[in-house]
Parts: sequence; structure tokens; C-alpha cells
Amino acid sequence: MSDLSRRKFLQTTSATALLFFTGLNKDGHAAPVKAYPSRKIGNIKNLKVNEPLTFNYPDESSPCVLVKVDNQAVGGVGTEKDVVAFSTLCTHMGCPLTYNKGRLVCKCHYSMFDVSRNGQTYQGLASQWVAQVVLRVDAATGNIYAEGVEGLIYGRIGNLKIS
Amino acid sequence: MSLFQRKDTLPVPPLDAERYTTVCQYCSAGCGYNVYVWPEKKSGTARSNAFHVDLSKQAQLMSGFSYTETMHNVITRKNGHKYNLAIIPAKESRINKGDYSIRGGTNAQTAYTPTGHTRDRLKDPLLRKENGFVAISWDHAVEILATLTKSSMDKYGSDSIAMKFYDHGSSGLGFEDNWGAGKLFLSGIKTHYLSIHNRPAYNSEVWGSRERGMHELNYDVDDARLADTVVLWGANAYEGATVFYTEHIMPNLQGGSIDEKKKEFASGEPAEEGRIIIIDPRKNATTTVSQDISAERVLHLRPNLGTDWILANALARIAWENKWYDSDYLQKRTDMATFEEYKSKSLELARPLDAFLADAEKITGVTRKEMEEAAAWIAKPKEGGFKRRTLTLYEKGIIWNMKNYDQVAAIAQLNVLTHNVGRVGTGCGRLGGHQEGYVRPGAPTPGSIYAGGPPKNVDNYITGGGGKLYWVGATDPYLSTPNSKFFKKSVKKRAADLLDYLDNGGIPSDPKAYIAKVLEAFEKTDGLFMVVQDIYMTHTAEDAMLILPAAGWGEAVDTSINCHSRLLRIYDKFLDAPGEALPDWKILALVGNKIKALYEAEGNKEMAERFSGMDWKTDADVFEAGSHEFGDNKATEAEEARLSAECYKGVTHKMLRKLGNEGIQTPVRQDPVTGKLVGTKRRYKYSFASKDGLFKWYGTDAWTGYPAEVAKYINNPAYPFWFTTGRSQHVWQTMYNDKRIPEKLLTLPLPYLEIHPDDAVNLDLKTGDMAEVFNEEGSCLALVYVNDATKPGLVFGLMYHAKGTMNNLISSYTDPKTTIPWYKGTKVGVKKYTGKLDDAIKTVSLLSNNNVTIQ
Ligand code: SF4
Ligand code: FES
Repeated sequence: MSDLSRRKFLQTTSATALLFFTGLNKDGHAAPVKAYPSRKIGNIKNLKVNEPLTFNYPDESSPCVLVKVDNQAVGGVGTEKDVVAFSTLCTHMGCPLTYNKGRLVCKCHYSMFDVSRNGQTYQGLASQWVAQVVLRVDAATGNIYAEGVEGLIYGRIGNLKIS
Repeated sequence: MSLFQRKDTLPVPPLDAERYTTVCQYCSAGCGYNVYVWPEKKSGTARSNAFHVDLSKQAQLMSGFSYTETMHNVITRKNGHKYNLAIIPAKESRINKGDYSIRGGTNAQTAYTPTGHTRDRLKDPLLRKENGFVAISWDHAVEILATLTKSSMDKYGSDSIAMKFYDHGSSGLGFEDNWGAGKLFLSGIKTHYLSIHNRPAYNSEVWGSRERGMHELNYDVDDARLADTVVLWGANAYEGATVFYTEHIMPNLQGGSIDEKKKEFASGEPAEEGRIIIIDPRKNATTTVSQDISAERVLHLRPNLGTDWILANALARIAWENKWYDSDYLQKRTDMATFEEYKSKSLELARPLDAFLADAEKITGVTRKEMEEAAAWIAKPKEGGFKRRTLTLYEKGIIWNMKNYDQVAAIAQLNVLTHNVGRVGTGCGRLGGHQEGYVRPGAPTPGSIYAGGPPKNVDNYITGGGGKLYWVGATDPYLSTPNSKFFKKSVKKRAADLLDYLDNGGIPSDPKAYIAKVLEAFEKTDGLFMVVQDIYMTHTAEDAMLILPAAGWGEAVDTSINCHSRLLRIYDKFLDAPGEALPDWKILALVGNKIKALYEAEGNKEMAERFSGMDWKTDADVFEAGSHEFGDNKATEAEEARLSAECYKGVTHKMLRKLGNEGIQTPVRQDPVTGKLVGTKRRYKYSFASKDGLFKWYGTDAWTGYPAEVAKYINNPAYPFWFTTGRSQHVWQTMYNDKRIPEKLLTLPLPYLEIHPDDAVNLDLKTGDMAEVFNEEGSCLALVYVNDATKPGLVFGLMYHAKGTMNNLISSYTDPKTTIPWYKGTKVGVKKYTGKLDDAIKTVSLLSNNNVTIQ
């Protein structure tokens, strides 16, 4: 993207979304993480189809989305295996992904990822599929835990190698 | 959980990693890449590494530096040691600025590794024996091939040797290999039965423009950002030349290049956000992405198949009627004698405008209002009387259309009429498929029917029993030639006839006895000795007698140009070719030199001489040898039009290595004053490439309906659908690399068909079903996507796929003026497949790839 179109892009992206991409959390620093933490990110009873929840994982500079889709998904959890979570950094050049009806869409160059199919790039420029968050559901409480990431989060040489 | 092995860390190159520059092996965009190689056990650190990027922090978006899972691999060199390999998009390249596509982003994954995706690369010359292929030495392979070629020429003439070779750059390794092939086949063997990679003959796909005096690569990437209007005509840029679209066309539509326009335009000239006209029967992703950016600045025309030249002439007529041309320019730069023919046959000025346009509407299916709007966007002067700047790029939808010659000529003429060539923000030519790198001695057929042609149809020759030895280089005609089922059946039979003769009494192992028996078979059967030279086993190679293992991209030094700036760069060698594989030029030279020696041994000086000049030691030698074909390139800027478009005379590998991603734009000229080598940014400002420098007009044919090969289906209810083909964003050509890369095969597991919802309902088809697509030429089983990319009554299929080709549905029609096939149109029947669905459908995405708007 030329500088000019980058500028144009930035003008049309909300300031809150941009916070994620500057590599800073609200304290101005991201805490280093050595092993994938187990982190509660939602409860299966509260999820509605196509209504995504955002969270950061495995650290504060890695935005992710949790969503219940309307079909069985690769890596899905829950009784219908329809709950999945993904990094929302576009694996092409790091722009924010927006969840929309079963897919993650990037407005920078229109890469689109199918969240029911392992985050595959079904259209666009990203040669790497988007990174999928490994989930576990606690049967008793319905709590959903993020416990790992499969695939590389964009903009890192290791998912746990950010200082 | 993952459908294939994923990574969550990547190795980092130490400061002393080996570093090379290269260019993507795939599409016409020619994105620059940097290559890093370092021992597997060594590592840089997050803060100190050969990328010179601080990797300890989460990267910023759009930083221009990307290093992802698909950009790394581990290779083993001939020394037995393992090395990390990283191939990342070059931020400093003005072509891609760090951007890359889904195809080029996997360049590293295509590197040969003994245990990885590419482990089944061809490693030895292979000869077919009773039980299949066995490895033989290069000495034997060369002796067999050279002796058979020579003996066949001596006995049956040069035309008993037929050839089908790539002639392009990037994955086809550019100038070096093309000069090698040219020397052997054009100077040495001198057969008339030459053909160029996918197609049945040896021809240019754009003689309709070249014979006007205008080479098809006449613009620069900058022009796509500077144009007031970009026209993409049968050219799916977002999915075919992706980064050219995202880095140069898209910013223009977004208004990101207005400041650049202000700098380059005349003072007072309006500089606004760009507009785009997309002429394509499909609403493909190029259309929907453009519309998502700014619907009001996108015009999408959807002509009936085969009718584009009628549309181009209609737009030209509208421009003419409105006087949207510059008489002074036409008189100075174009041939006013032939202009009369253009006016009478193409513009049909003798006919009233209304009647002319009413006919054009009927033939093309495009409304007069749409035509008028398009003509205005192309040619209507801007406020203040400034000429509009329009860049028109066409590709397979035009060159592989019915009547190749007239289609190309009509578009070229529309642009010259409206002075949309040779100025900043203008140009008219190909978007391109692959990159280029053509340098060869003169071809036996110099041009179309109007210039010494048409060239011979090699497919017809081979299927009709002609030729003894058929040498196929880096192309897979069983998938890629039109009417491919018939072609495959015929070749298979002729290969089997030869094999039957050879194995009667046993196939001799001794090369001399083997050769003698093949020559006997040539005499006694119609058998065909097919040689396939490639990097992998191909569909076609299964019927070859001899297979030659070639080096691929990164395994030999190569030079090519991209299409959008004619930017010549070096594609350096950073890999060892697997096993015994050799660069194509070397294989061709081995055979050429052997034939020469055989003639010398007989004392036949004249024939030996024909095979001389192939004793190159290095790739730099071949590059240099080819450069002399361009002749004297001493020329001023104003004389650039007389230079061959790809002229690189004076440029060396060493120089290109120094220039790296910057490269130099062909034609390269030697400035008469300074003596320095100078590139050419944009062409035809001062004159055209004809003898007198004037653009030569041509009167196109009138509409006469469809050729018999397709017309036979028109009122046949068994074949109710018009059928067109194209490519997918994901994969390159026949998927020879991509079918080995899990990400690619999972996303594109089968050939697919797009059908409109109205038609799908009638056939009880839904996305994720499979359908049989068929006509009298062939058939194909395809995965179905129901979407609005096609119109009712029109279906679209992926041109070819590792698991099946739709080219077997395509007719054998070629344009009688050029022998270029109409790959893009025929009629078919479609029915739902009721067998068990392919398991791959369970994991493939079934979302529609042209639906880009967030709802
Ligand atoms: S756009 Fe073309 S040249 Fe650029 S990375 Fe993709 S395939 Fe390669
Ligand atoms: S950053 Fe390019 S498509 Fe997402």
C-alpha cells in the first residue's frame, strides 16, 4: 500500500481498533508470555450465532475474536462444535480483521478467511491462514478457555516471543 | 485440530546470513523478493538479525515487512547440510513495496526439500522401459535424444521434430532458457512445427497490436496510479496480477495517488480519484472489490462472449462522433492512408450512428447508455479541455477470445484514436499472465495472415499423425491445450504404438541398440517419441518415452522482465537443483552440441554450423549471447520505438546483481551522447514501432456470428449454457507446485464451476454439490459454487486443475489469422452429479469469493 493509501486507510479505521495494532496495551507495554496461558474468554451459554466477542490472547497485543457459527467448524468446541476463536490480525500485512457472517474480512486488500474451515484464506492475498485459538469448554460451568494458538500470529517471530 | 501442520515460531537469520535478490516466480506483476539462507543451527536474535528489523515487538500494520509461516522452509544443499530459507517480499521494490499475494507468499514452500512437499521433484533423466520409467545417465539421455533428432531430421526432414516449449520469464526461466531453446529449435533444427507453452502454434497473442506498430508492454506501474481511468478488459487483475491491482490500481481508486497526479499533470489540469471500467462477462472479485471501494467510480460492462471487438469499435465511434480525439496527433503520429480503412470498416462512418449502435447493442448485449458512459470515461476531455488519461489493459478475455487478431487490434485502435498511449497515466496493452524474457532468433512465421502467417497448428499436426519426435518443455498440454481430450487420446495412442514396437522382443538397454530400434519403429509405425522436460512428473509425461529433469526457479540464475514496467532484474540462484536436474538452457545445449558433434563426425560442416554457438559455460554467457539478437541499441530517447521491447543489450548479470530490486527497464538503449545504458519508462511518446514510425490502422471484420465449432451448439437444447473459463487467486497455472502445498490443495481441492442462482435452482444445484459439465468435446466433474459472478445462461469453470481440465470442453477453433484458440468460449450442458461427493468438500471453504462487502 502506498503511503497515501495507507493514510487514507488509517483515516477510516477507528482509533480503538488501532490500539491493538500499535503493539501497546493500555499501560503502554505488553507483558511477555512464556507458555500459552489458560484464559477464560467467555461462557458458552452467553454466545449467540454470529455475535462475536473480542479478547486478547496470548498477550495484550494480540487481538482475537470468539464466535459461534451456524455450522460445525474445524476445531470448534461446544456440543455443536460450532464455537471457534481466531487472531484478528490479518496474516497478509497485519490489518484488523472484521468478523462478518462466518468469515473474517480484511479491508486493506480484501483477504477473507473462513472461520468454519480452519481460518483458510478463501479469497485474497494472505498466503498464511489466520491463526486459530485452541479452546476448551468446562462442561460444568460452560466457561470457555483459550489455551493455545495454532499458526503464527502476524507480526511476530513466535506467538510467545513478544517483549 | 489443524488440517495440516502449523508453526507458531519462525527461525531468524543471523547478521551473516547469505542474502540474494530475486523476483517472484509467478505472475506478471513481478514482485521483488529478498532471500536469506543460513545454517539450520545458527540463529539471529530478535534485535540483531539480517532483516535489520526489531522483531521483539508486535509489528505495526502495513510496515512493509512481512515474514509468515509460508515464507520459511528448511532445505538441504548438495553438501548434505541443512539450511533455513526465508523468502520475503521486498519493501524497497517500487513494484510491490513489501506487498505480496497468496501465490508469491508461498515461494519458499516450493523450494526442493528431500522430505517436504516437493520431494517428488524429477531428479534423473528417465527412460520408459517395460515396467515404467528407469533412471539413466545424462550421457545416455543426450546420446539418445541427439541421435534420434539428427537421424529423424536426416531421414524425414526438420519438420519431423515438433516442439512445445514455454517462451516466458519468471517460472519459465527467462532470457537464458529462451535463448537456449531458440538456438536449438530455430537456428539448429529449423522445424516449422514449433508451439508456445499452452497453445497450438508459435505466435504472438497480440499481433493485432504489434502489426499496428505498438508493442503490448508500453506502460509503467506508475501509469496505473496516474490514470484518470483504468480499463480492465477481460483482465481479472485482482486475482491474476494481484499486487499490481492492490499497489497501483487500488490506491488510485481510493484517491491515494492524487498528490502524485498533481505533480505529474499539466498545471491547472484536474486530478481526481481514479475511475475504473471493467469489461468482463463475470462479476469477478476485481469488480466487487473495486465496487466496494467506490461503486460510483466503477463501470462494469458484461458483453456477450466473443463480441468485444464490436464493443471496442462502438466506443471508438462514440468518441469519433463527439470529436474526442486530437487531429493534430492523429496526423503526426498515425498513418492517415490506412486511417480511411479504419473509418470505413471499424467505425463504419457510412452508416448512421443510431443504426450502427443499435446493431452493436444487439450483438454485444451492452446498452448504448453503458457504451456512451464508457466512451466518456475513456476519452471525454476533462474540465478545462485537458485530455483524459486512460490506461487500458486487456488479457486472456481478449487474447483468448474469438477472433484474437481483431479483438486486440480494435482495442489498440480505440486507445490510439483517443491518444491514450505515450502520455503519463495512459497506455494500452496486456496485463500479462506470466512475466516475460523472450530472446530468440527469428521465428519461421513472422506474423499474422497479413504479415507472412498464419503459423502452423502443431496440435493438428501431431493428432493427425505428423512428426516423429515431440519435445515438450515445462508445459502440460494434456491439461492446457484446447480440445485437450482429443489431443490426449491421439498422443496416447501414438505413444503406445511406439512402445508396442519397442517392447516386442524387449526394450534394448544399450543406447545404440535402443536408438536403432526407435528408428525402426519410426519407419514401421506412426508412433510418436515424446520427450518431456520439466521439474515434476506431469500428466503429459506419463506418455513420454524420455523425461529430462530441469532446474526450477532459484536453482539457476535467471533474468526476466515484469509486464507492468518491463523491469529487468536478476533472479539469483540460491538453491541446488535436486539430483541430476539441470537448467533448461544447459540441457538444450548438451543436445545441440551433441548433434553438432555428430554432424562434424560425418564431415557435414553445413549442418554442424547450424548447431554452433551453444557452447556456453555459464548462465551469464547465455544471457550475453542472446543480447546480440537485439542488434545495435544506440538510440536517443526519441528513437526508443525502434528498439525491441525486451532489448537488454549491454546489460550483464553482474550489473543486474548490483541493481538488485531496482533493475532496469527494457528496452535498454545506449545513449549516443553519454554512452550510458538507459532504461525506458514509457513507450511511444515520439513515434511508433513501424518502419516510418506511424501507427498503422486496420479495418476490422464485421460481425459474422460464431465459428462452426461453437455454432453447432447454439440451437442444441443439450448444451444450453454458454461456458467461459478463468483462473483462481490461489494457484499458479496447472498447480504443479500448488497441488503439493496443503494450504492450496485444501482450498482448491477440485476443479470448480460457478453458476448463477437462477440456473442452479432449475438444476437443483447448491454450493458444495458436484456437477457434470459436458459437451461433444469432453467433460469434467466439478465442485459447484452458486453465486452472482456469472449471468443466467453463462457458467464459469476453472481453466485447469491438477485433478481435471476444463480445456477438454473447448473447441479446436483457432483464429485463422493467428492460430490463437478461443479458450474462453463454447457451450456446455450441466447436470447434478448424484454419486458420492468428494471428501475434500468437507474441509473446503464454500463461501463465495466475489462477496467482499461486509453486510
Ligand atoms: S502478485 Fe504476482 S508477482 Fe506478486 S507475489 Fe503475487 S504472484 Fe508473485
Ligand atoms: S493486510 Fe492485506 S489483506 Fe489484510
